[in-house]
Amino acid sequence: MKTFEEIKTFYEQTLYPDLAVLEQRRKRILGGLGIGLVVLVGVGLFLAGPLFALTEEPAAVIVPLLVTLLLFVGVLVVLGWGYQRDFKEQIIRRLVCFLEPGLQYDPKGKIAQEDFLRSELFQTRPNLYKGDDRVWGRVGKTQMEFSEILAQHIQRSGKTTTVHTIFRGLFFIADFSKHFRTKTFVLPDTAERVLGRFGKTLQSLNPARPNLIVLEDPRFEKEFVVYGQDPIEARYILSPSLMERILQFRQKTGRRIFLSFVNSKLYLAVWFDRPLFEPKLFRSLLDFQTIQEYFGDIQLAVGIVEDLNLNTRIWSKE
Amino acid sequence: MCFLLFVLPAFLLLIFVIGGYNSLISKRNQIRNIFGTMDAMLKKRWDLVPNLVAAVKGYAEHERQLFEKVSELRAKALSGALSTEQKVNLDNLMTQLVGVVRGVAERYPDLKASENFLHLQRTLNELEEQISAARRAFNAAVTDYNNTVQMFPTNLLATLFGFERQELFQIEASEREVPSASFGQT
Repeated sequence: MKTFEEIKTFYEQTLYPDLAVLEQRRKRILGGLGIGLVVLVGVGLFLAGPLFALTEEPAAVIVPLLVTLLLFVGVLVVLGWGYQRDFKEQIIRRLVCFLEPGLQYDPKGKIAQEDFLRSELFQTRPNLYKGDDRVWGRVGKTQMEFSEILAQHIQRSGKTTTVHTIFRGLFFIADFSKHFRTKTFVLPDTAERVLGRFGKTLQSLNPARPNLIVLEDPRFEKEFVVYGQDPIEARYILSPSLMERILQFRQKTGRRIFLSFVNSKLYLAVWFDRPLFEPKLFRSLLDFQTIQEYFGDIQLAVGIVEDLNLNTRIWSKE
Repeated sequence: MCFLLFVLPAFLLLIFVIGGYNSLISKRNQIRNIFGTMDAMLKKRWDLVPNLVAAVKGYAEHERQLFEKVSELRAKALSGALSTEQKVNLDNLMTQLVGVVRGVAERYPDLKASENFLHLQRTLNELEEQISAARRAFNAAVTDYNNTVQMFPTNLLATLFGFERQELFQIEASEREVPSASFGQT
């Protein structure tokens, strides 16, 4: 784990020159957007007036304004596209390499949908599966990969479209340090928190999951519900030390986290409501705090190996 | 109406008795099942005795008596001639042996670094953690069962059908003293 001083030095000595160039581009894009907006609104209003006079329909005003807005969004996408690509190549790639030199980065890559499904963390099958910023490689002795994922189920019936977001955020997979045969799931405990003992009874009746496992640590039990096919193996995986580390990780992120242990692998999903590793057009890149946020996001993902002590190989699995 | 007044409570009582009784049986079976697994794991630990003794014999001459005692009890265990008390005794001796092995490994770095010993250590660590998980699972199952036996209204059924409170698995005092830091944290 890098210290604050190391990050600050890297920012000042290595990243700053490239950030300064990107910052100029960001400002040019913003300037272009400003002018574009004024011109497009002007044209829109210019067209809306005569059209309204001709047709006397309110739609005559709305349509040109909508077209103007769409054009504006189009311009924003075109201008932002190259900027986003360069930002990821020049900044995110180097941040990843700085934090863990052995890792590879693909801005357009994502965790394969088969792996997402294999985790069995979410029970609804997505029909829209997107992702980017895939990072993979070895951290110490542990093979890992992660990427940002958006998984949704979109249902269309007649004219209504219902979008159900199954998962949005950081999806992480690592080779787990112990051998195991059965499946264990650690999920956020909403039912028990809301309904108390009755919630626990409901959880034990959940037909879609294996048996409910009640662990000894009341703090862990308050945060998570555990399902497993084998109560002994679930406890073998979730040693008191790992439970403590998962709790600390939950507190550190302050986010909803989902874990599953399937086929000797650990799957961890951290829910984020905001996009990850994306450039922010309306914030200065030269502000250290902005870069610190990117550092924080990448460090959070890369640090999972250390946070959950996955490099300790004192068992028969090497 | 009168019929309903008698039949409905009787029906509900029957449901309660059947449900409560089955719940007690399934919880008691769960304890037995986990106890069986724990027993199997302890046997796996006994199987490591010859390897453990061979690995550290040359380094801990003064523990010869312990090695002999463990080997003897293990041989008896394999022939199935071990009483429950002797099993507990063997387990306690095993714990002592593991402690000796750990201590020796700390004192002799060349032994600690050898490929065979590392493999033995890893197997032992895995087994120790599995046994610990099994004990935790056993205690969880016993707590669940005891809650049903002691809480109202299922305690009425437990008394009626003779279900008794079970003891939790207590760790031996000597086991608590075994240093675990030498093998790293889990």
